[in-house]
Amino acid sequence: MKKKQINYSKARKKYLRNIKKDKCLVLLGQIIIFALFIGLWQLLADTGAIDPFFFSSPSRIVNTIIDLAEDGNLWIHIWTSLYETIIGFIIATVLGTFIAILLWWSEKLRRILEPYLIILNSLPKIALGPMIIFWVGSGTGATIVMCVLICVILTTISMLNAFISCDNDKILLMKSMHANKLQILFKLILPNSIPAFFSVLKINVGMSWVGTIIGEYLSSKAGLGYLINYGSQILKLDIVMASITLLCILATGMYLLVSPLEKRFKK
Amino acid sequence: MKKLLEFKDVSYFYQTKENEIKALDEVSFDVKEKEFTSLVGPSGCGKTTILSLTAGLLFPSSGEILIDGKPVEKNDSRIGYMFQRDHLFEWRTIWQNITLGLEVRKQKKDPQKLAFAEELLKKYDLYNFKNKKPRQLSGGMRQRVALIRTLVLQPSLLLLDEPFSALDFQTRLKVCDDVYDIIKSEQKTALLVTHDISEALSMSNKIVILSKRPAKVKENVNISFTGATPLSKREDKDFGKYFEMIWRNLV
Repeated sequence: MKKKQINYSKARKKYLRNIKKDKCLVLLGQIIIFALFIGLWQLLADTGAIDPFFFSSPSRIVNTIIDLAEDGNLWIHIWTSLYETIIGFIIATVLGTFIAILLWWSEKLRRILEPYLIILNSLPKIALGPMIIFWVGSGTGATIVMCVLICVILTTISMLNAFISCDNDKILLMKSMHANKLQILFKLILPNSIPAFFSVLKINVGMSWVGTIIGEYLSSKAGLGYLINYGSQILKLDIVMASITLLCILATGMYLLVSPLEKRFKK
Repeated sequence: MKKLLEFKDVSYFYQTKENEIKALDEVSFDVKEKEFTSLVGPSGCGKTTILSLTAGLLFPSSGEILIDGKPVEKNDSRIGYMFQRDHLFEWRTIWQNITLGLEVRKQKKDPQKLAFAEELLKKYDLYNFKNKKPRQLSGGMRQRVALIRTLVLQPSLLLLDEPFSALDFQTRLKVCDDVYDIIKSEQKTALLVTHDISEALSMSNKIVILSKRPAKVKENVNISFTGATPLSKREDKDFGKYFEMIWRNLV
């Protein structure tokens, strides 16, 4: 950092100060919203304005999480959901990209499979839930299958679009250099689609959590989706709210892990 | 001088679902070695089709195209193609961009070719930018890199498809001079396609005027100016005369 050696003009100093001020204001706004939300919720619950039995409260959520953690079961639930989501996410991303490559490679295949892709994309995958349980049995396997089903079609379609939208002149350029199809794929199409790949990754983080929770609702013995379901059945809504809170943290955490990858590749 | 490229009564039809479109109608012209030839014609007349046919990306419906007396092959390696936009790959450095062709042809380890690539970069003031990414370069520099990327493969004939049309006017004049200079000092034969008459005039030894679609050769105009660079040619007293003659032939 050479900042100190440079003498900024007055206008520049003011400009920099304003940027800093704006940044602070935004952060402050975010903190205020969070504090207001939590504070108001707690206050309303404590004064009895809302029934904490139905609406829970921040303090009850924290206590529930601590109780569950002391039980030791919490870690099993978190680990199960995390494991299912990450495995589902990886399988769906790899498989979807691979299918997209095949479809890019052969235009015939693409045209043949197009209507089926549309059907599969429009179908609410949750409808397949009962069938999945019969096919792979209930538990972790079924959840991962659900997770993959929800993400894979979207990945295929998005990646295929990215592959096809590559500038035709760039392909001509490769051809004029005598590149074969494999070289065009590896030296042009794939690197050219990296930005699209990262936006698919970000979407898949959200979608794979949807898949996991749906899968666990349908049939499971552990996981945050199971915990939500269990809590609502025994009318302990604190457990439901605690699970949702943990879900928020985990999903955001996974997103924050994926998004810096994008910045690194942009350099 | 020897004829490097010959078009002999070349016709070309585009097939669409509805019908057959005649793009070229018995087009004949030639490009002599180390000369700069331009094709001008109304937009959509089939200029780019001629380039695609020359590069072996398309094949004539009838007639013959010869390079050095031998018919054009599929993706002919004697051809270097330069496009409207530079099409540098953003994820590669300048060096990786200009050696793309060597990589594709599995010649990346050939020390002679690498030395040639390096020499070109040095000669045309881009060596310091060797490890930069394309987006760190100006539009004019990028177009020069694109030309060097083509020259690295040592083609005998350069095809230029409106290579300056994506640049603003001032950069365009500058890059036009640069590119002309590089092509002349590397002693390359070039075929330029453009709709800009002044650009064609300032660069070429010969201009082939095409009619509107289906394209026919209307006229071959030989150009001679006293100036040495495209920019100085624009100031020649005959420039206006040529311009008017070509303009009248076009419309």
